[in-house]
Amino acid sequence: MKIADLKKYSKQIIVVAVIVVVCIILAALKPGKDTLLSMTSPEMQKMIDADKSSSRKRVTITYNSMLIINYVSLSTSGANVMSERYVGFLGKVYPADEGAMKVVGQMVNYSYRMLGIGENLMHGAKLTILLTTLTVIFGVLLGTILALGKISKKKILSKLSGAYIFFFRGTPLLIQIFVVYFTVPGIFGFAWRDFFNAADTEAVYKGAFMAALIAFGLNSGAYCAEIVRSAIQSIDKGQFEASKALGMNYAQTMTRIIIPQSIRRMIPNVSNEFIMVLKDASLVFAISLMDITTISKNIMTSEGSYLVFIPALVIYLLITALFGFIFDKIEKKFSVYE
Amino acid sequence: MKKRIVAALCAAMMVLGLSACGAGNAGGQSAGQSSGEDKPAASTIDVSGAKLMSDGVLSVGCEVGYPPFEDFAEDGTTPIGYDIDIITAVAEKLGLKANIINTAWDGIFAGIGVNYDVTCSAVTITPERQETMIFSTPYINNYQAVVLLADDDRKVESFNDLDGLSIALQKETTSDILMSDYKSTGTIDVQIVANEKVTSCFTQLQNGEVDAVVVDSTVADGYINSSDAFKIVYKDESEPEQFGIAMAPDNTELQKAINQALAELEAEGFIKETYDYWFGATAAE
Repeated sequence: MKIADLKKYSKQIIVVAVIVVVCIILAALKPGKDTLLSMTSPEMQKMIDADKSSSRKRVTITYNSMLIINYVSLSTSGANVMSERYVGFLGKVYPADEGAMKVVGQMVNYSYRMLGIGENLMHGAKLTILLTTLTVIFGVLLGTILALGKISKKKILSKLSGAYIFFFRGTPLLIQIFVVYFTVPGIFGFAWRDFFNAADTEAVYKGAFMAALIAFGLNSGAYCAEIVRSAIQSIDKGQFEASKALGMNYAQTMTRIIIPQSIRRMIPNVSNEFIMVLKDASLVFAISLMDITTISKNIMTSEGSYLVFIPALVIYLLITALFGFIFDKIEKKFSVYE
Repeated sequence: MKKRIVAALCAAMMVLGLSACGAGNAGGQSAGQSSGEDKPAASTIDVSGAKLMSDGVLSVGCEVGYPPFEDFAEDGTTPIGYDIDIITAVAEKLGLKANIINTAWDGIFAGIGVNYDVTCSAVTITPERQETMIFSTPYINNYQAVVLLADDDRKVESFNDLDGLSIALQKETTSDILMSDYKSTGTIDVQIVANEKVTSCFTQLQNGEVDAVVVDSTVADGYINSSDAFKIVYKDESEPEQFGIAMAPDNTELQKAINQALAELEAEGFIKETYDYWFGATAAE
């Protein structure tokens, strides 16, 4: 990056640097897990000790550490119901069973769960981002092939691509997910999790994720095909003619002249598609994966807390903002061709 | 729409995750109602003090789609099932006509006293729910059960034996709460695959995506009755759950009348007979 560029962003850089430094300081001052756990009441401690020798444990200990703040909750199940919550912030531990600290604790816990921290890649925000990104990449690649097929002069190719697009745009994504995950293995007698090591306990989620990715990719391909086709066809006909006059063949014309120019025209629509997929990703609830929406809905039904939707919205907006920024950069980069 | 959101919100708070809700489609049980339809109401129980939405009719909120408790017959419109038989007989005892109103599980409790008089839809009696509604005496006992594929020779003698397996269950049901507790307390390490519908759990089991299904024993009995692909290997009889008919907290007169009707039906052997019809005589305790 040139010095001039850096200067342009100097204000932003200072703000980011200050935030980072403050976060580091706050993170260093946050009490540790043991400090939080040492606050537990003697009754709870007794339950924890009893659990050590029992085959049916009763105490659930949740520890959520998020950068500058951390949260511990201890709750018991069975006849003797107890629960205690603590929030650690800036070297102090606050009880979080009621009042404002309770809300703070809930926010930390909900965000932690929705971001999927401490979980595998197929959980929460990680799942949403991973699935959306892979889907759009796959969709654009497949869409380009389909678009070239559709505008091809070969009748069969054009008809086949048209039929594919017609099928995948004309049926609901949810049903496509069901078909890929339930119907196809049912008919052909395989299980998605068999593609992974049987000893791997996460295999069932990986299998479901693979099925989801296939369904999303195939579906997105159809939408992207139309995006790519419209971008290609929006390029002036004169460009084709000029390439032909220069002696380029069809493949050269496409790869060197037309597609580079059409990318810029595609970006806004692909960015749209990306945001659509980001939100459609919540459909994975149907095949037992947990994305941001599903987790927030679960929290809502099990705890009756409507506050959970606030961090959910913030997380979605952050993801959209991040990718909106990336798409902006790509668009700028490709606008040099025009 | 707004109303629905509010209703869903209220219900969600009431439910607090404890539910025996859901839907399924075991099929195979499309026969008509079992019995008791044309019995003359010998002694009508007095319901003059009870609050009813319309005279002579007991309107019942029910999430039709949870066989064998409630499901539509093959014509797609007639509700049939254990709950339907029970509530129809109860209404008859009270000298009323039962009117089944199909409603979504989300918000089913918010509709009590608004859209219908009572809810009879495989509702587990829980202390949380008792804070916002009152229940009749229980009319069936339910346990948590583990279902495996019929050709699986794994030994499951308690939930602890599910250690290391992948299990499917219906989201936000008692099964979900119980197994999540086993997992979060660190009792066992189990992969929980939570589904919206109980039918998805059984499809996953059949396809081999999961190793076992944890579900209400009554629902499991229904599945075993209609398909020999599955078997019940374990029922947790230490913690029975009881299903009751729910009504508005100020409707104690109705509660009294319904309890009396249930007691009479029990004495006449009607409840046992209906149970055997829907769940199979072998499933009876």
